[in-house]
Amino acid sequence: MFRGTQTPQEWARFDYLLVLIALALVAYGLILIHSGSTESGEGLKISFNSPVIRQGIFAIGSLVAMIILSRLDYHALLHYAWWIYGITIFLLILLLIIGQTDFGSTRWFDLGIFQLQPSEFAKISLIIILARLISDRGGDLKSLKTLLFSLLLSIPPLFLVFIQPDLGTSIIFITIWAGLVFVAGATRRHLIILGAFFLALIPFIWTFGVEDYQIERISVVLNAEEDPLDSGYNPIQAQIAIGSGGLFGKGLFEGEQTQLNFLKVPTKDFIFSVLGEELGFLGAVLLLGLFLLLLWRILRAAQFSGDTSGQLLAVGIVTMILFQLFINIAVNLGIFPVTGLPLPFVSAGGSSLLTLFISLGIVQSVVIHHRAYRQN
Amino acid sequence: MFRNTKSGTALRNRPRGNLRILWLAIIILFAVLLIRLIDMQIINRGDFVEKAQNNRIIQTNLPAIRGLIYDRSGNPLVENTVSFSASITPSLLPVDEQKRYRLYLQLEKILDLPAIEIAKQIEEFEKKISQSGTLIIARNLSHEKALMLEQSTPDLIGVALEMAAQRTYLGGSSLSHILGYMGAQTEIEWEERKTQGYGFNELVGKTGLEAFYENILHGTPGKAITEINAYGSKIQILDEIAPLPGQNIHLSIDLKLQNHIAELLEQGRGEANIAAAVVMDANTGEILALVSLPNYDNNIFSSVNRDEEYKKLINDPNLPLLNWSLNPAAPGSTFKLVTAAAALEEGRATAETSYNVDSLAHEFLGFDGRTYQFFDWRIHGLINLTEAIAWSSNIYFYMLSCGFPREELPGLGDDVEQSAVTLSYYARRFGLGSKTGIDLVASESPGLIPTPEWKRRSRTGPNFAATEREWYYADTCFMGIGQGDVTATPLQIAIMTAAIANNGKLLTPRIATKITDAEGNLIEQKPTVSTKIPVSQKNLEVIREGMRQAVENGSATLAKIEGTQTAGKTGTAEFIASDGTTKEHAWFTGFAPFDSPEIVVTIYLDLGQGSLKASPIAAEIMRYYLSKMRDK
Repeated sequence: MFRGTQTPQEWARFDYLLVLIALALVAYGLILIHSGSTESGEGLKISFNSPVIRQGIFAIGSLVAMIILSRLDYHALLHYAWWIYGITIFLLILLLIIGQTDFGSTRWFDLGIFQLQPSEFAKISLIIILARLISDRGGDLKSLKTLLFSLLLSIPPLFLVFIQPDLGTSIIFITIWAGLVFVAGATRRHLIILGAFFLALIPFIWTFGVEDYQIERISVVLNAEEDPLDSGYNPIQAQIAIGSGGLFGKGLFEGEQTQLNFLKVPTKDFIFSVLGEELGFLGAVLLLGLFLLLLWRILRAAQFSGDTSGQLLAVGIVTMILFQLFINIAVNLGIFPVTGLPLPFVSAGGSSLLTLFISLGIVQSVVIHHRAYRQN
Repeated sequence: MFRNTKSGTALRNRPRGNLRILWLAIIILFAVLLIRLIDMQIINRGDFVEKAQNNRIIQTNLPAIRGLIYDRSGNPLVENTVSFSASITPSLLPVDEQKRYRLYLQLEKILDLPAIEIAKQIEEFEKKISQSGTLIIARNLSHEKALMLEQSTPDLIGVALEMAAQRTYLGGSSLSHILGYMGAQTEIEWEERKTQGYGFNELVGKTGLEAFYENILHGTPGKAITEINAYGSKIQILDEIAPLPGQNIHLSIDLKLQNHIAELLEQGRGEANIAAAVVMDANTGEILALVSLPNYDNNIFSSVNRDEEYKKLINDPNLPLLNWSLNPAAPGSTFKLVTAAAALEEGRATAETSYNVDSLAHEFLGFDGRTYQFFDWRIHGLINLTEAIAWSSNIYFYMLSCGFPREELPGLGDDVEQSAVTLSYYARRFGLGSKTGIDLVASESPGLIPTPEWKRRSRTGPNFAATEREWYYADTCFMGIGQGDVTATPLQIAIMTAAIANNGKLLTPRIATKITDAEGNLIEQKPTVSTKIPVSQKNLEVIREGMRQAVENGSATLAKIEGTQTAGKTGTAEFIASDGTTKEHAWFTGFAPFDSPEIVVTIYLDLGQGSLKASPIAAEIMRYYLSKMRDK
């Protein structure tokens, strides 16, 4: 199962373009992090405290992780899917006990130089376990039992992340599950029944599961001006930044909203606003273009995949990246409640970057190994 | 649980996923983002640009340096100094009410200002004045408080220690009523002033010259367009319009004379609580001194314990904040000058018209046939008009004003009411009964010149009986000697005297004579303003002669000075004090020198006799003027 060496043909199948696009996004991110984290006119500080340097180091580390993973047959991951899933659940429980609490939510283990965010890795474990489950059960979700079982497996990580609380990441879990279920081909009848069941559940979730601040954030999206200095502050400043950027932007390091600190969390959740303000509509279209290419390359892997499990892994990863980038940008544009999701590859954050490159590693593995598993 | 996990054969089934649904999702979601981006960045960009501008660009006022005030010799009477204040910018405070209140509590410790009070001020300010501006919550901080605040401000975002301009008054307490003082604006005042560029925190003149010449002293404020960051710190000044300093005011007041008179009044007032003096140029209306006792130190309005001091002032029964030279009292015998002018001008008397006042109590027959008595203070014998002025005969002036109808003496008019109307006509021509128009913001009273019509009008209503609104014979008589309902302010008496002295010019008194700009260039020279009174020069000469004799050998001999002939008229007005007893106001009004009048001096004391108390003070003032100020 493990192959010590890869044949030249396998290296030839390595998707260099995919890596190039990902690195372009990271580089784009580094520029924006620099703009968002320093006073205007200030040069780059070579220090581990500089978020740009940190992100650069994380990117290099993540790239290495990706290359290692791409050499690994993805079936190894599927083989250990239950272990991976179990460890993930354990870490999420442990996090609630000893984790680091910031801004009222417990998301990180503080490892000194690095803050580990298990919910990021939990996304991949969910993709792996669902891919394993579905391909084990004949590669589709025609049976209601399998469908319900896949849902059952998604609930523990979703719940554990939701009570951190991290609404954004729990939404990503749902979209991953939904994406896989749709692509794997659940029957329409089952989907309708499940959909109806969810609708019936919503009032209970609203009452018992959602914190007041989350309701407030949702209502702020509906009417941001209502309470401009409170929960509406950040999205309003983000919209002002993006809107005032116009077609060409105000120029890199020239955005007043960014440089005069009106924009909060400008290297993470609201990094898109820095882009929108300083590089304008064209900069945003460039970013969306890069994302589109990236998603295309991953979908290409799904198409190439030799078997269901490989395809579902790629599909899960596409879904994860797609919804994460959509929700993040939608928050910046004021059309989605503030959820605290990073912009994939672009926002500062080690755990997120590592998770994304691990996903790309899995995608590479699917591409490299597709011939070996091609079914006729 | 899973089948064939070991070999993994079950994993190797043919992929048959429907990837089109993913492409569809990607296209829809990207389209949503793209449409929203076009909406925000291209279609509605202008709105956001404006909001971004409002975020970072603030316009602040640069207050102009306030103009100074000088006395007639060029001595500065005010100075611009700096005081410490504590300010709050509500938009930078925490939004959370509890956190805000915690900050107010910290401020309470530093400033001794109750947190509740601060909370109320901020709430009002945000509601009524400005959402984004800065409010000064405590002024004139002591050095210790300012230091404590400065050390705490880094922890108290939104709170700042500010240095603000304030006034320090140099001339001493005798000038306080003239200069006035500065104070914070009320909302209503600011509504009016903000169009002229005033900031809400700016102090404005509240009384006196500071208030009257506010527009001249204030200057034109400049503007600074400043870029700030999200924490309110200034990043750079984008544009600046420099302020234009206020203009200076030069007064006719002589600081030394003013202080000298305050001392003289203080020493000579005896039992009097209130004293006022006016010294005026007899020909131009320029005020050389305008003194009111008790006075106050106007520097307390910018002092650390302003509130306590202010409370003391408003609780003082003698109302030191009031300018008594602009407040009315019965003018008593000084008013006889008006009665004399009316009688002469109406042809009811000449200088030689003589009556025999041979008793202290003149009995006469009233309309009802009963016998009444009028009293005088002295048996004058046979006196003419000049002597009657000199000796201030009451009975003589009763004869002139209301007459003795049963003794073929008609008074000023054909009947009692007409006599009163005629007298009031002359009184008004002499400037009594209306405000003088002096250039001060103060509670200047017009005084009162009664008429039968006034009595009927003002005594109508449920509080008055019908008999109270009738005009009686005695009303005209008392009016003739400046008693009854007649009241006048010391300043009015002074301009009346000046009109007699200068041959008939009723002057508008003024304290400021010219305005200069910050470099000292003349901007405006205030002209002499006067109207002519309807009394002939010949008749005025008669009155002047009476006044001369009063000082020479009549009732005002205590006003006599060596070397120069002067003229004057005393007054001792009876009034019913609040305790029910009859007391007297002391008056003196006169001018010097007699031959070519230069100054008018009017003295008023709320308790005392004019001849004894007011005359010597007037003499001192004339002496001072003639010896020390004449060459200037």
